[in-house]
Amino acid sequence: MTEVLTVQGLAKRYGDLAAVDGVSFTIAPGETFGLLGPNGAGKTTTISMIAGLIAADAGTVTVAGKGMGPSETAAKRHLGLVPQELAIYPDLTGRENLSFFGRLQGLNGRDLSRRTQEVLELIGLADRAGDLTKNYSGGMKRRLNIGIGLLHRPTLLILDEPTVGVDPQSRNSILEAVEALSSEGMAVLYTTHYMEEAERLCDRIAIIDEGSIQAEGTRDELIKLTGGVDRINLHGSGNSVAAAAALRLVPGVQHVDGDGSALSLTVQDGPSVLAGIVTGAGNAGMSVTSVEITRPDLESVFLHLTGKALRD
Amino acid sequence: MRQLWIMILKDLRQRVRDRSVFVFSLVVPLALMGVLSLVTGGFGSDDPGLEPVTVAASAANDDQLAITVLDTVESQEVVDVTLNRMSADDARAAAGSGAADMALIVPEDFGGSLRSGSSPTVQVVQGDGAGLETDVLISVVVGVVDQLHAASVAAAAAGSAGLPPDTIAAIGNQAAAGAPALILKEGQASDEQLSFHGTLVAGQAGLFLMFTVGFGVLGLLAEREEGTLARLKSMPLGHGTIMASKAAVGFILGVAATGVLLVTGSLLFGVDFGSPLVVGALTLSVVAAATSLTFIVARMVRTAEQANVAQSILAMVLGIAGGAFFPIQGSGFAQTLLDINPVGAFIRGLGISAGGGGLAEVGAPITVMLVFAGICLVIARIIPDRGARA
Repeated sequence: MTEVLTVQGLAKRYGDLAAVDGVSFTIAPGETFGLLGPNGAGKTTTISMIAGLIAADAGTVTVAGKGMGPSETAAKRHLGLVPQELAIYPDLTGRENLSFFGRLQGLNGRDLSRRTQEVLELIGLADRAGDLTKNYSGGMKRRLNIGIGLLHRPTLLILDEPTVGVDPQSRNSILEAVEALSSEGMAVLYTTHYMEEAERLCDRIAIIDEGSIQAEGTRDELIKLTGGVDRINLHGSGNSVAAAAALRLVPGVQHVDGDGSALSLTVQDGPSVLAGIVTGAGNAGMSVTSVEITRPDLESVFLHLTGKALRD
Repeated sequence: MRQLWIMILKDLRQRVRDRSVFVFSLVVPLALMGVLSLVTGGFGSDDPGLEPVTVAASAANDDQLAITVLDTVESQEVVDVTLNRMSADDARAAAGSGAADMALIVPEDFGGSLRSGSSPTVQVVQGDGAGLETDVLISVVVGVVDQLHAASVAAAAAGSAGLPPDTIAAIGNQAAAGAPALILKEGQASDEQLSFHGTLVAGQAGLFLMFTVGFGVLGLLAEREEGTLARLKSMPLGHGTIMASKAAVGFILGVAATGVLLVTGSLLFGVDFGSPLVVGALTLSVVAAATSLTFIVARMVRTAEQANVAQSILAMVLGIAGGAFFPIQGSGFAQTLLDINPVGAFIRGLGISAGGGGLAEVGAPITVMLVFAGICLVIARIIPDRGARA
């Protein structure tokens, strides 16, 4: 058993609603695994069961080889949780917050002091460590929220949408911190509904919707599910109908849709066929004023798998 | 156990910084004690504080029984009396002018009338400054005259029966030596009744205890709202550690606040609640009862705001019904409800303690409070946790 986290057949129901339905995946040491899905997809419920906050109706969770549940303390020692909502005490200072949660995780003495200082520097709050956190900015609170989760050097760090409501600068700081932790060998479970974050951070990604995993793999593996085609949108004036007919004959073009002054094409390897498409449209009597190439991404994958946009 | 203490110390640090615990647990009840005390008579002890009285008295110098009446009034120990002898008219004038608080006029031949079996009338004239003090003296006069009359009647009856003179004298003395007209005894009106200021201090301590313990267990709801409860649940904590720490914080705050209120109130108002050991046992018991009640509140509400409202209602109902402001009496089932009120039991217990009662004597109120605590804990385990489903 080399996986840090093994989730097998996890399920949770609330009345008639299946919040999570048969979720399974594993995370290896040093791997960053993303759970990508829209709000209400079941990401937080899945994480709540993995972190032992709530009991699963079915399925098992194993963290570092130890079974996880609400009363399983052995597995929880290997876990660091960064909840989606801020989980810090406003009447304590940043250092006191870290120290309190560190003690509960078993740190004490010099080890606690040293580790607290390290984390304060990592999250950029060393100079504000003595301030009450109610006086922190939103971004500072977010960074402290993350710092508490990684204080005790957990084997598995769970981050539940850590960048929601964060300014761009703090967001980038958070993403860099996660990348650094991953490079140090920490396994990370990262949930988000931001496609760009999943693409940047995650070695593997599971796309989750309506409580179940729709697909899982690396970014490239997931994109292949869409057929790997690019989309080219042409805007212009002139005879678009004739242009559409002409472009269907261009090598590499799979599909053409016309909509007045705009054409939408599905093509293999868009950049290599782009010149022929613009020339063909011109020869058919359409004067092209703008061209847009869209390469397949996780948004396309989600659309392909579920028939709806990721941020619906 | 280490984790439990870590959580307790964190909560206590938060409460100290928050300062609201000081306001609700100490400042408000002490202020309320002061206001209520001022409204009802001011600070100080419960001594009624009888003022010295000047009595203008008239009696015949050669009438031994009349002199006995005046001596009795002058020598009683309840009121400090200055007795000035003068004529009957002057005595009336002195009372009328305010030179004396009271005129006491023993008629001529008072002794002869008694010995003849008749009932002579002793006149009392109260001046403008008359009050509780002169009422006390009037009752003394009535008492001594009744005793002298009884003695003379007994002696006359013995004489009529042809008894020898020494026997007649003995019977007269025996009748005259009845119970004294007035006895001052320091003590409680009943074994379970505190003085006014004692009730005020104990009642406010009991009432605001209900608020104070809320800072502990109901802090659990604040953790839920702040999101920290989820993080705590992800920590390797032993089963029940989170709830136990909140209960312990409420208990510690409750004991500390009640102790400070009782001590401060005692010093401010001159109240003696009796044995510290007994008061301590009563305090621990009532705090246990109040803390256990908050477990039910914590299970029934969804937010800290709802909890504060519920806690305030419970505090006022239990406090008022327990006699925090004034004694409440009932009958039948209503009285039973009043008897099982932990605030009422606490005040009753302090009454017994103040009257000199020991641990054995306060067993009943302590039992009431501990049984109340036990029942609340059982109910809290049975009812569903509405907050957890919120």
